[in-house]
Order: sequence, then structure tokens, then C-alpha cells
Amino acid sequence: MHCTIEDLVALRDGEGSVWARRHVEECAECQAERERLYQRVAQLKALPALRPPRDRWHAIRDTVLAERSHRRQRWLRSGLAVAAALAGLVIVYSMVKAPAYADNLAQAKQQSAQLETVLHDYDSDSRVMSGREADLTAQLEDQIASLDGRLAQFGDSGVGEAQLVDLWRQRVDLMQQLMQVHVTRAKYVGL
Amino acid sequence: MTLSLSVPDILVARAKTGDLEALEALYRAFETPVYHLARRICRTPEDAEDVLQETFLEVVKSIGQYRGEGHLWGWVRQIAASKALMRLRAEKLRATDELIDEAAGAPPPSVAAGIDLERALEQLSATSRAVVWLHDVEGFTHEEIAERMGRTVSFSKSQLARAHARLRRLLSPAVAGS
Repeated sequence: MHCTIEDLVALRDGEGSVWARRHVEECAECQAERERLYQRVAQLKALPALRPPRDRWHAIRDTVLAERSHRRQRWLRSGLAVAAALAGLVIVYSMVKAPAYADNLAQAKQQSAQLETVLHDYDSDSRVMSGREADLTAQLEDQIASLDGRLAQFGDSGVGEAQLVDLWRQRVDLMQQLMQVHVTRAKYVGL
Repeated sequence: MTLSLSVPDILVARAKTGDLEALEALYRAFETPVYHLARRICRTPEDAEDVLQETFLEVVKSIGQYRGEGHLWGWVRQIAASKALMRLRAEKLRATDELIDEAAGAPPPSVAAGIDLERALEQLSATSRAVVWLHDVEGFTHEEIAERMGRTVSFSKSQLARAHARLRRLLSPAVAGS
């Protein structure tokens, strides 16, 4: 009994059985068969290279360029979608935010107008004041005038909405301080 | 087949950035060995050309994942072998293979007169030819072949033995007949 091709291939790959290894060492016929196996594999490895009949690079390059173009377009579409979504968010945010801003501004303007009316009715110019009171009143009125100047230029300065509300609140605060000066003086003199 | 398959590292680095000239240089370096491998496995030259194209599209797509561990040709060869075997499986050649293998027991008279190794290879079933080529020429292990074919290691080993048995008969009819 001789080795089969399977035995010889296994032996070549270092996996043969003990029986097959011993048999090949003793059997000239199986040794010749093993040699033919080695020769066949060597001939397979020595076969001449088969070259592609056509140049495929141009087709590959065109496909790569087309894929890159599609990828860029996908990115562009994604970018536009993101930009549109952001724009939508900004619009929704400004719509939600607008009432709060408008309310605060209207409230500050209304307070300012009310104080303005009260101060006008008080008619401080026709009343007698101490030098310190007059100085404090002048300082507050200067600050209010300066603030009015800034509010007048608001449209050109590019100040944000929050700052506009803040300026009006500062004006209300200064007018309240001005009112306080007059009220304190009135209490002091018992008017 | 003796070809110089060494590629400068700078070329690989440029190819990783998507540089088309560098990618073309890689194609020029490997087109013949890839086609050679594909042609030995695939049934027709057209199939082998398709495998060549698919392999390089995969190389272009995945070159960034090549870590430089081992020779670049080894990495390209793995892709090429996978593409070629996928094509074999996709074409459902197994059914045809069975018919060819059944006919193997009785070589036609023209074969008995003796044919060269090239033609003997063509006489093998696609699966046997792929296994003998990948194992004995390209150096794939049975485990690697089995994984790529979606079969067992035993299947790969038995296909290799069948391939050699048939090659032996085709190349040495006188011996086979004795």
C-alpha cells in the first residue's frame, strides 16, 4: 500500500501521519511521487505572469473621481441642510425671544415716562434747594442727558437689544434717584 | 512569475492622501500580479479584469487603513484573493464544478496525449484551481482560504489533494494509467 496524494500533500505541509512519513522514507515509488509533487508546485510558481489585456486605470480613475464628486455633493447638501436648520432655529429663537424683549423695553419706557411726568409736575426749578441738593440734582440730570444722547444714537451704534433695555432701565434708575433727592428735601423742610 | 513588488514608503504616504498620481503608480506596480492571481482563479479573462478593477477600487478606498505592517503587496493580495473568490461564489460556479470534477476520472484522449501545466490548470474545477493556486503559489493557509470561501479547513485540504491528483493525471497520463 502506497501513500495517497492527500498523504503526500499533508507530509509536505508538515501534517502527515507517522505511518506515511515512515513509508515514504522506505518506498522509492512514493519518494518519486513526492518529488513530482514538489516539481509541480515549483512549475506552478514559475508560470509566466499573465498581464491584463487592457489598461483598466482610466476606468478606475473615472470611478474614483465620480465617487469623490458624489461625496462632495453629499457634503454640500448636508451643509446646506445644516445651514437651513440653523437658520430655522435662529428664526424660531428670535420669535420666542421677541415678546420678552419687547415687554421689557415697553415696561422701562413706561416707568421712565411716569417718572418724567411726576418730576415735571414737581417743578423743581421753581423750588429752593441747598447747594448740595442742587449739585446732586445737576449731576443726575447730566447723567440722564448723557443717557438720552446715547439712546438717540442707538440706531447708528449697533447696540444690541439687551443693551437698549439696559439703557432705558439705567434712565429709570437715575430718574428714581432724582425723585429721591426731591422727596428727601421735601421731608426735611416739612413740605 | 518574478516581479519587483517593492514600493517606496513616500508613494504609499502620498496615496493615502488620495493623490491620483501616487494611486496610479501603485496600480502600475501591482496590476500584473493582481491580474495574474485573478486570472488563475477566475474562469474568464473578463472576470479577471473585473477583479483587477474591483481590487484597486478597494485599494483606493481602504489605503488609509493600511498600517504599513508587512509588505504592501501582501495587503493588496489579500484584497485581490477575496474579490476573486467572491466572484466565484457570486457566479455560483460550484454546481458547474461538481460536473467538471465528476468528469475528472476519465480524461479525454487529447489530454492523454499530454498537455502542459497551463492547460492542466484550466482543466481543474474553479474551486480546486483557486485552492491550489492560493495555497501552493500565493502562500495562503488553509484557514485563510476556508474563511474567504466560507467553507471548512477540511474542505480546503480535500480540494488541494483533489487538485494535485487531477494535475498529476493530466500531466502524466501514463503514470496515472498504471
